Amino acid sequence: MSLFIRKYKPGVVYNTQILWRLNSTTAETQKQGEEEEEFRVLDILQKKTRIQKKAARRADIQPDRSEKMPTDQNWGNVWPGPRSFHPSSVPLPIRQGYVPKGQAPPGKKANAELMKIPNFLHLTPPVIKTQCEAIKPFCTEWPKLLNSEEAIEKHYPVEVITSDYCHASPTIRNPLARIVTMRVKLSDLKLDSRARDKFLRLVGDKYDEKTDLVTFTADRCPVRKQNLDYVNYLLTACYHESWTVEDWEKEKCLEDMEYYDFDMHPSKKNLVNWFFMSNNKENNLSDDEIKSFDTSSIPNGVEYKNAVSELFNEGENVTTLKNYDTAVRKLLGLPEKKVVD
Amino acid sequence: MNAIRGLWRTTPLVRSVLNKITLNRQFATATIPPIKPIEEVPNTVELDKLYKRVELEMRGIDPAVLLSYSWFCIAAASNLGIEVTKSWALRKAEKERHTLLRCVHIYKKHRVQYEIRTYFRFLHLQRLTGSTCDTFLEYIERNLPEGCALKVTKVECQKMPDHLTPPQE
Repeated sequence: MSLFIRKYKPGVVYNTQILWRLNSTTAETQKQGEEEEEFRVLDILQKKTRIQKKAARRADIQPDRSEKMPTDQNWGNVWPGPRSFHPSSVPLPIRQGYVPKGQAPPGKKANAELMKIPNFLHLTPPVIKTQCEAIKPFCTEWPKLLNSEEAIEKHYPVEVITSDYCHASPTIRNPLARIVTMRVKLSDLKLDSRARDKFLRLVGDKYDEKTDLVTFTADRCPVRKQNLDYVNYLLTACYHESWTVEDWEKEKCLEDMEYYDFDMHPSKKNLVNWFFMSNNKENNLSDDEIKSFDTSSIPNGVEYKNAVSELFNEGENVTTLKNYDTAVRKLLGLPEKKVVD
Repeated sequence: MNAIRGLWRTTPLVRSVLNKITLNRQFATATIPPIKPIEEVPNTVELDKLYKRVELEMRGIDPAVLLSYSWFCIAAASNLGIEVTKSWALRKAEKERHTLLRCVHIYKKHRVQYEIRTYFRFLHLQRLTGSTCDTFLEYIERNLPEGCALKVTKVECQKMPDHLTPPQE
């Protein structure tokens, strides 16, 4: 209707047909029905349909560098150091990422997955080889005579264990690097039986019976050097302290023994007396001589000694009692125990 | 007073003489311990250390990166002539979990769990001299990829110290 008002000018005789056509389209379809089949929609806002234009490829852009690379190039020069992935420098058909069903994984260009992960393109085998050749002059060979674990342990019995740490952190110092551990085999230390006993009492639970290793660990000082010195000090101090004999150590008597020592007990005296009596010999030995008397000179004497010591040290059980039984029967020349069915 | 000060300023010669006197006096009064000449350090050849075993522990957030790194380490070791005895990885990652309420204030039954995974890889090397070990470790540590950490445990073998001998009496 607005169109009508706009178009209408008073005093102008309008063509009735035009007016009619503006008001209704029926007359038009009747006239030109065969020519225009489609219904033409009134386009008021005059919106243009957006056609995606293909970006014209610029003629001066070079093709990818990766496509121009010769096949016999030195890869170490192309990718000399650690760097995040760059598609036009890598002439490999790499694909990485989420794989939709029935499609290939995304290619290398504009692929964030490839850029996120640290790559090792600068460490290819030929590059490693050349770099190792370059640093080889700084290396020395392992001595050839130390070719077995036994040889190493024989000549270098002390083990010093330290740790180094390398990680991304605001500081390069890791407090755990200060800890020093020293290990020595107890059998490598020159100790006699008394000193060994004292050494074991001094080190306490630092000694492991299964492996025969004494382990000193120091972490009380802030610097590794100090801890190393402290560990050395501990070993030296324990060693020399175990060799010193205090006055009160001589006062240890039979009642203070923490284990059964056959030579110190009256059983040995009885055994020796019995041995002399049975051989019709005079027994003129003093107590000290009896203590140092060799049990192996008595027939079956060593077996008896071991059986008695076991019985007291391990306690009474089936095996120790049985051992004691057979040892006594052998010693006294008694018949063997009959098994009653 | 000003006149004296002026004299002091204008005559450097007088001043130097005075200074000398006072200095000499100080030296005379103080008792100085006799300075010993520095003893020459005896020329000893520094022996190379011997490492029986070197254990590398790599930890990182990506198992693939750790695997590549261990390949690199083994390749470098074989090129330098170092024996590699063992190389393995843990079957499962170490997971550090945090459990939080899904809603901040209410609904205690509904929670979310976040976890941080750390993957491990181990490499054992055998029989390195000190200089070889330093060179190799320097090379390896410089090429450590992002997001990885390296712990190197060195087992050094030493001679028994000379002072650990039984006392002679």
